[in-house]
Amino acid sequence: MLETVVQAVINGLLIGGIYALVSIGVTLIFGVVKIVNFAQGEFVMIGMYISFFLATQFGIDPIASLFVTMPVLFVIGVLVQHFLIRRVLGPNDMPQIFLTFALSLLLLNLALMLFTANYRTVHTSYSDAAIHVSGLYIPVAKLIAFVVAMVLSGLLWVFLHTTDLGKAMRAAAQNRDVATLMGINPNRVFCVALGIALALAGAAGSLLMPFYSAYPFVGQVFVLMAFVAVVLGTLGNVVGALIASLMMGIAESLGIQYVGADSGQIVVFAMLLLTLAFKPNGLGGGRVR
Amino acid sequence: MPSPGKWKVVALAALAVIVLVLPLLVTNSFAIDIFIRILLFSFIGVAWNLMGGYAKQLSLGHAAYFGLGAYTSTILQVDFGISPWIGMVAGGLVAMLASLPIGWLCFRLRGPYFTIATIATAQALMLIFLKFRDLAWGAEGTTIPNLGNAPLMMQFEAKAAYYYVALGLLVLGLVITYLIENSWMGYYLVAIGEDEDAAEAIGVNAPRIKRNIYLISAFLTALAGTFYTQYIYFIDPATAFNFNISIEAALVAIVGGIGTLWGPVIGTVLLETTSALLQSWLGSSIGGVQLTVYSLILIAVILWRPTGLIGVITDAWRHYFPRSLLRA
Repeated sequence: MLETVVQAVINGLLIGGIYALVSIGVTLIFGVVKIVNFAQGEFVMIGMYISFFLATQFGIDPIASLFVTMPVLFVIGVLVQHFLIRRVLGPNDMPQIFLTFALSLLLLNLALMLFTANYRTVHTSYSDAAIHVSGLYIPVAKLIAFVVAMVLSGLLWVFLHTTDLGKAMRAAAQNRDVATLMGINPNRVFCVALGIALALAGAAGSLLMPFYSAYPFVGQVFVLMAFVAVVLGTLGNVVGALIASLMMGIAESLGIQYVGADSGQIVVFAMLLLTLAFKPNGLGGGRVR
Repeated sequence: MPSPGKWKVVALAALAVIVLVLPLLVTNSFAIDIFIRILLFSFIGVAWNLMGGYAKQLSLGHAAYFGLGAYTSTILQVDFGISPWIGMVAGGLVAMLASLPIGWLCFRLRGPYFTIATIATAQALMLIFLKFRDLAWGAEGTTIPNLGNAPLMMQFEAKAAYYYVALGLLVLGLVITYLIENSWMGYYLVAIGEDEDAAEAIGVNAPRIKRNIYLISAFLTALAGTFYTQYIYFIDPATAFNFNISIEAALVAIVGGIGTLWGPVIGTVLLETTSALLQSWLGSSIGGVQLTVYSLILIAVILWRPTGLIGVITDAWRHYFPRSLLRA
């Protein structure tokens, strides 16, 4: 009895690490640039397809392909900020919401046209491997993904708190006008924020590939989870998003264990609606901590 | 030369004649099908535009009301033999009822998080209809019993009849929009859309206005749901609560001209015609083509012409008729 609970918690925690990479990206963009990136899930999808093709064409291990997906997506992030998002930053909500939403639709449907709706999987030597500890079962691929996700989150925290650029980002998040007066170039900071957020999404894609299938709609699973985690963890708060993501992973896993195999989505929606109903106050002002 | 006001009346009368005789001239069933889609999605866009356009409450969850309308009339028809004409109104009332708690939840949030909340509520409703089989046929859905030509049950032999029903819905939507646009409520809505805090500061009861416009918008969207189910003779949660309906409702209004009377109609004509042309060129074999093109059009509109096509048209008009005939 206790063992199944612990097992479900472990499963949830491990996948929660991936959710964290996606949510941290969403919350970072929201905190710094003040927009919600509806396309964040599609960048996870792009990361997965890059890893998939590197693995099948060149035999590169999906986790090693992190060193390709992260820089590639960083560059995409900078381009998206510079050529698209920069042009709609203003007091008007409509262009901001529907620009990233249109980007999400575009990437998703392009993937559908180019790669079809088929599921793509990469089988690695460790895809089925697991560590057995006193009756518990820990899949190696998920454990690696979790550890790398935590390391990347830690590195981001260090970056935000110790480097000049990181501090500039936090300053821009707290008060854009004052930050600009202090000589911080907002567009440069926004470009870096988008770059980092997308690089994290790309990393999530690579880390998922050994144990998850790539398909055009895959990002939707993760972005919904991320939106809930970002609300729960207070908008714009990186540490909050991380903790909330791990909690979401655990809640989803317990839901699957005790309610039914296909209840994962229901749990997510229930949590989102409950959060909105009872804790919408955390939604007000958040900042990058 | 007639006055600008008269020009408008002449143009409207000409449009009315063309639209009324169109199904008599064009009998190709593929073409009529496209006309019906244009009328239907214009109507859904008009319903969305009342809330999303004028009050700038950017919902991406209107499929919730489309689905509730569709399910209410279908359940009443299949289980109780009640005519979909009555079911349609009942569906509208159910949608209004549902919009109260949904609005209560979603209106706590502003901007993008309002949008996300509306997506979530529509998806949650779809899940309810998928999981609770006792409620309504679960994931398999059901077909609507075909009664042949039964106008009282909203079933017609001739496709043209569906055309006129859809046209009637669109006219209803446009008249309601026109009346609201020219009433105190219209001004309040625009004030809320411009700046909600400022509107409240000058005494606009924003929560009440938003709730009321949501009721109307939900009611109209539900009518479209009933019509669509009757038109395709089939219902399941994936069709009735399809996210693409929420998307297209917003898209046609934004592309055509957000917060304008004719914007959703112009947007639908462009998007649906493009989609039909693409389909006849490429066939429907390649998935994703339609939405790829829609999203490219949307990005282009947002970056270059946020006022939509109607902005392009009025600018061109002013260019060629400098002494603005549109002033009236």
